[in-house]
Amino acid sequence: MTALLGYFGIVLALVSAAALGLVGMAGVHDAGRVPRRYLDRSVWGLMAGSGLTMFALVAGLLVDDFSVAYIADHSATTTPAIYKVATAWAALEGSIVLWGLVLGVFTFTVYTRYRRSTEPDPLWVGALGIMGLISVFFFGIMATIANPFQVCVEAANIGCVATSNLPWASAMAPLEGPGPNPLLQNHPLMAVHPPLLYIGYVGMTVPFAFAISALIGGRSGDSWLRVTRTWTLVAWSFLTAGIVIGGLWSYEVLGWGGYWAWDPVENASFMPWLLATAFIHSSVVQERRGMLQAWNFILVISAYALTILGTFLTRSGIIASVHSFTQSPIGPALLWFLMVILVGSLSLFATRVHLVASSPRLDSLASREGVFLLNNLLLAVFAFVVLLGTLYPMFVEAISGDQLGVGRPFFDRLAIPLSFTLLLAMGLGPITPYRQARATVVWERIRTPLRVALAVGAGTVLLGERTGYLVLGVVAGTFVIGVIARQLWVTARQAAVKQGKPIWRSIGRTMRRDPGYWGGQISHIGVAILAMGIAISANQGMETQVTLELGQMVEFAGHEITYLEDFNRQEPNRNVLGARVEVTRNGSTLAVLEPRLNQYVRSSQPVATPAVDTSWRGDFYLSLTGIGGGRISLDVFWFPFIWMIWLGGLLAASGGLFSWVIRKPARRKVIPEEAEQSV
Amino acid sequence: MSEGVRKVITGVVTVALAAIVLVGIVVGDPTPQDRAQAIGSSIKCPVCQGEAIADSPSETATAMMEVVAEKVDEGLTDDQIFEFFRARYGDGILLDPPFGGRTLVLWLLPVAAVGAGVFMILGRRQKPVPVVDSEPGEHT
Repeated sequence: MTALLGYFGIVLALVSAAALGLVGMAGVHDAGRVPRRYLDRSVWGLMAGSGLTMFALVAGLLVDDFSVAYIADHSATTTPAIYKVATAWAALEGSIVLWGLVLGVFTFTVYTRYRRSTEPDPLWVGALGIMGLISVFFFGIMATIANPFQVCVEAANIGCVATSNLPWASAMAPLEGPGPNPLLQNHPLMAVHPPLLYIGYVGMTVPFAFAISALIGGRSGDSWLRVTRTWTLVAWSFLTAGIVIGGLWSYEVLGWGGYWAWDPVENASFMPWLLATAFIHSSVVQERRGMLQAWNFILVISAYALTILGTFLTRSGIIASVHSFTQSPIGPALLWFLMVILVGSLSLFATRVHLVASSPRLDSLASREGVFLLNNLLLAVFAFVVLLGTLYPMFVEAISGDQLGVGRPFFDRLAIPLSFTLLLAMGLGPITPYRQARATVVWERIRTPLRVALAVGAGTVLLGERTGYLVLGVVAGTFVIGVIARQLWVTARQAAVKQGKPIWRSIGRTMRRDPGYWGGQISHIGVAILAMGIAISANQGMETQVTLELGQMVEFAGHEITYLEDFNRQEPNRNVLGARVEVTRNGSTLAVLEPRLNQYVRSSQPVATPAVDTSWRGDFYLSLTGIGGGRISLDVFWFPFIWMIWLGGLLAASGGLFSWVIRKPARRKVIPEEAEQSV
Repeated sequence: MSEGVRKVITGVVTVALAAIVLVGIVVGDPTPQDRAQAIGSSIKCPVCQGEAIADSPSETATAMMEVVAEKVDEGLTDDQIFEFFRARYGDGILLDPPFGGRTLVLWLLPVAAVGAGVFMILGRRQKPVPVVDSEPGEHT
């Protein structure tokens, strides 16, 4: 039943997507040619089909319908409900279902917006057509090589042995499944992280589809940028939140005390983020000054291609070994799709760019545009470096068969200087006038924040901190925040004086009047806080390994830890074995932590769950490595101010949402020379 | 206090603060790390996916970290320790690819990318135009 319902959803979505693709392409030059009801039906069909597919999968998981092989192989009756739902996207086939659903919803939101307009608009119709064609690919592989609703036709004691692609095949369901991967059912963040990331990934489809539609139709101007701005911001915000939550998950679950390892899966999400960030900035330059028109096409095509590359990297098995990815037909299918996207859109770009892009030249490097160009250069190089470091070992292995390691030292060496330069640009850019900036104006706006930042930096040094990156990070972060705070203060004070109101009342009003600019500044403050959090926790963090007897106390990083007792509790899906450890500071109790080992049913190795005590000073982090016979071994970490990373990251994400949610008051026509601040 | 004196004082204070920051940075390490940790973050954990042994909680990585710590205590240099692991696990065990040979492209391409970008930006500049004198913005 589940299989039939789900497969029907896939077919409905596939047929509707194909229809949408045809209708959209028919109307890409002349939207009047296609009746609106065709669009209407195919979009509704895509939305309903993608929703039905996900509904069937989640419902099947919740009722333990093991006649579906995916459910039999990835879930268990004892799995808690939240992880049953999360299992819908925990494995390959299910993750494509989630991708399809998000794509369906985005297509639907684009169409809902289009329906508000009265005139047929070929740009929108063409973009909907492109989204339809992209959906054909994803629902096409769901219908064939990545079918999440394969029926289990031969059951083992646990899980499924043989499957059939036919949804009406007579099923033989096992009584129990092995349950999700222990790491994926060890923390509730795993239910949140993939959807956030996928909304970010798939959201980039919208600006991509509009860019392609503009190229095909030969439509110049920035309307494709302006109309997709909302979706770009939403996608960026969710991608940001998804990456940060992923780091938090790694920190809370994996027990090594880290949040970022430059591994290919993380890089796969970071590369599109870098280019999406570059795109948000460069689209401002095009909207304000008409520059970078061709570059924006390149950026949005590359950002979209990188989301597909990221999915290919994470889902094809190529990371484990270059030669393993052909074992599943999905890897090659994604690779072909990536090739079609790249070759198709780049040749379209090459043949038609003269129709759509003619950029004026730069007046002066010392201008807002100049800093934007620097920002784009740095972000693009950053993305390129990450791409190179991620793919290079694979190329070397594919060609010569030799293994080559490219890891943290390589990435750090390039990422640290790039990040510091970006922070500097972030401090200067938003207060630099367009066209041609006079040094006196810029100096007026940065001198006080600069002095404050230097004073904070000098204070840090005088307090005994001599770590270069830490001091630089604190100075740069304070500078960025200071410049923004001063700008807000000065602008709000002018408004307050003009209206004769107290300044604290005009701060909110000032920000709401220009949500694009101030949303960006909220994100900048977030990134500055995040950068300081990284600089402090990475350089002042401490780690030690201790073995404690029952009742024994040990001192570490200004805290005392005491091993109080063991505990052991049986839960439906796991056995939890842990220790109660008291953390005190100068004799007063801060927390009793419970680092533990979770032994999941049908899993050979126990999974360690670290316990963390967070205070404003930092995190005290305990990871249990061994327990038994009245003795425990612990990895103990102290990470000062690491909460700044999570706070900063989420603040950065909320800045994008601020720009989206806060409606701009009636759009005022501004001529570029006057356009000093608004973005 | 006259305007001039105040300017001099703020100037001196600013320079003094900057000097303290600079001296602090120059005197200290760029990043303090336990030597074993630093070495461990450049050695790949052979059973993990692209993680360093310093980052991985796996048993293999922990055991390898203990070997690194022993070698550090024995007084071996960083290069000797890297060579020790390379002899056992091959080139792929090092996460910090050495410059030259097969990795030449890896190191040169980022530099080339920066160069190309700078060249393109400079190429888009037009002949200097007279400075636009009305700077609105702050309305001061």
